[in-house]
Amino acid sequence: MMKQFLTLLMALAIWAGPLSAQSTGPLRIEIDEGVIEPLPYAVPDFVSENGAGAEFGRNLARVIAADLSGTGLFRELPQEAFISQITSFASPVQFADWKAINAQALITGSVSVDAQGKLVVRFRVYDVFAGQELGQGQQLVGTQEGWRRMAHKIADQVYSRITGEGGYFDSRVVFVSETGPKDQRAKRLAIMDYDGANLKYLTDSSAIVLAPRFSPTGDRILYTSYETGEPRIYVLDIASVGRRVLESQAGTMSFAPRFGPDGQTVVYSQSQGGNTDLFAMNIGTGASNRLTSAPSIETAPSFSPDGSQIVFESDRSGTPQLYIMPASGGEPRRISFGQGRYGTPVWSPRGDLVAFTKQSKGRFHIGVMRTDGSEERLLTASFLDEGPTWAPNGRVIMFTRETQGAAGKASLYSVDISGRNLKPVMTDSGASDPAWSPLQN
Amino acid sequence: MNTGQIISGAGHLALIGWALLGGVFKSEPLPFEVTEVTAISGEEYAALIAPQEAPETAMDVTTPEAPEVEDTAPDLGSEADASPEVSQPDVAETTSPDESPEVTEVMPPAEAEVSDEAPELTPPSEDVAVMVPEPAEKPKPRPVERVAPEPVAQPEPDTQVDDVAQPETVPDETSETPREETDATAPEEAATEIVTEADEPEQAAPSTSRRPKSRPPRSEPVETVDTAQEEPAPQEPKTDNSSVNDALAEALGGGGTGAAAPSGPPMTRGEKDALRVAVKQCWNVGSLSTDALQVTVVVTVKMGEDGKPISVNQLSATGGSGAAVNKAYEAARRAVLRCGAKGFDLPRDKYDHWRDIEMTFNPEKMRIK
Repeated sequence: MMKQFLTLLMALAIWAGPLSAQSTGPLRIEIDEGVIEPLPYAVPDFVSENGAGAEFGRNLARVIAADLSGTGLFRELPQEAFISQITSFASPVQFADWKAINAQALITGSVSVDAQGKLVVRFRVYDVFAGQELGQGQQLVGTQEGWRRMAHKIADQVYSRITGEGGYFDSRVVFVSETGPKDQRAKRLAIMDYDGANLKYLTDSSAIVLAPRFSPTGDRILYTSYETGEPRIYVLDIASVGRRVLESQAGTMSFAPRFGPDGQTVVYSQSQGGNTDLFAMNIGTGASNRLTSAPSIETAPSFSPDGSQIVFESDRSGTPQLYIMPASGGEPRRISFGQGRYGTPVWSPRGDLVAFTKQSKGRFHIGVMRTDGSEERLLTASFLDEGPTWAPNGRVIMFTRETQGAAGKASLYSVDISGRNLKPVMTDSGASDPAWSPLQN
Repeated sequence: MNTGQIISGAGHLALIGWALLGGVFKSEPLPFEVTEVTAISGEEYAALIAPQEAPETAMDVTTPEAPEVEDTAPDLGSEADASPEVSQPDVAETTSPDESPEVTEVMPPAEAEVSDEAPELTPPSEDVAVMVPEPAEKPKPRPVERVAPEPVAQPEPDTQVDDVAQPETVPDETSETPREETDATAPEEAATEIVTEADEPEQAAPSTSRRPKSRPPRSEPVETVDTAQEEPAPQEPKTDNSSVNDALAEALGGGGTGAAAPSGPPMTRGEKDALRVAVKQCWNVGSLSTDALQVTVVVTVKMGEDGKPISVNQLSATGGSGAAVNKAYEAARRAVLRCGAKGFDLPRDKYDHWRDIEMTFNPEKMRIK
């Protein structure tokens, strides 16, 4: 018994010894605060694998860098700081050299021209400090004329692999180009890449045009024109630049159209006898139905991404405010309750926010709020800001900013939904009423 | 066989019977029973009760009546004196209402201006980019102060540079190998002293008390010390043991390879805060999506003795989709690897406590609001 007891004691001591030593477990700390700063990255010129692709190597890298740095989320490291050079797309990356210059992301690529004259671009994205690739390498093949789009698509991939949300670089913007003095301003529709490149005009300046809007597939545009003297809605095919007017009842004015997510339904405002209400039309059949019937002015409708609801502007409470109602009509629910006048609501493509224009205390703001009206925050403030439109990923808003005075000029600006990175969008002439396209295929 | 067993059994029975009946157990209980205790308690118990009762009755009888009468008398006198105090509140009321309205008028215009201009002022924040590494280098000058007072005779102040692989600190005892591992970590350990809270506990308790325990195992590594100096020298220029502690214990002349083995005192709050500050300076959430900013991710970090992370793995995550979780984890991993590239400032004698670290990255305060 004594031996057994001693043996048991010894066994307990042996077992309990290491247990007590490990009782503390791993050290646990919680980091609940970080920093918000642009992520440093490096994008060396893409390696030219044959002589024909030499000129594209640098251009591709420059466009990718402009895309990424333009978001405000990334900061390019100058090529003068590079310790090692990328001379071969296949050779392993010397991560230590890129760590030394604090490059947290590295984009390498190669470019060549194949026998058919097509541009072949390959790229990889690396997490330098983890020493591994983000995602997998990809290859793009396209025409030499379309090299900018290839660069945008690569930038979209890089953006997505680092941030976790989709990019918006391979997209276009349609807007109203404005030239001439303020009292005799010529307006015409124009379309360009999101960064201002590849500008094209879609209409002449013979008639005033307003509020162009993309279709969900980005191939058509709705807009309002005073071509016949009264505002009417047109549908324009971007590829052929052909257009047709949407049928409307005699004695009415139609404006503020916007596509539904199905690409067939169009919601718009129709004014008759001094009263303005919302209507929906099937663009294929031409059949329309009334959505609101109030003595007040209802306008600026915008579908939710799932097509089930519509946010719009109404002054039924005395001042213009924002309301949401079912897409088939019904009792609207007011969502804006702050001081001032709210207008031009646009539902985010992510579905979580509504962007709007707010006029308060003599200044205009672009702001966002949740779809229940909570967490309103104003992103800009100036003499005149209006007409927000969402980037395809719901992270950036583009809008019109007009300066004060007789020589005032309208131009396009963009801002991150955090309120950071407010900057102008380069256009050759004055510009207003931007509409951001979805990502191109 | 049977006879042997019978003999053996009989012998055991006899032995047991003798043990039971032979007074073996009687001898033990006898000394425990002491009769003197009972005899004393009987008489002195009454004597103890008597003095206890006497003072109690004496106090009760004498004190109560006389003081009560005296207490009432001064109360009456004080009430009569209270009347002049009325003059004080009048003065206080007149002063306060004059100043308060002026303050409220000043405030409103200031708030209105700030709210309108705030959005436009935010863009310049982009320029503040790579300010992180500078504060990380500040701790280096301080170690000189700590190293200097204790081991005055040692040439450690020369070892301020971290990356030097050949620090010559104690060439006195080991004539064969003038270079030892111990001094290379002087700047790293000194960095823990950035946090002022950590100064006292380090010097007082842990370093001196633990050292004697670590000596016995050194008898074995004494031989290996020579080899260890040759072999791992290129691999572990920075992974040396704590310099200050070993400098004080230099009399042994050992390499001190076993110094990290014993578990030291637990990490102090200051030491944990220092690590937290070091990591958060590299946790950049500016490039994360709004979805990824909803994810709280827990990572496990395997640390080397040099304070550098060996591996980072995701332990758990809450609050987001798969892609968002992945990006949140990658940002956390970047924070650990980037700021740990030169080694975190952690106390080497407590390596057992930070060999494995669970870091929770909670972005709740960093979300876009």
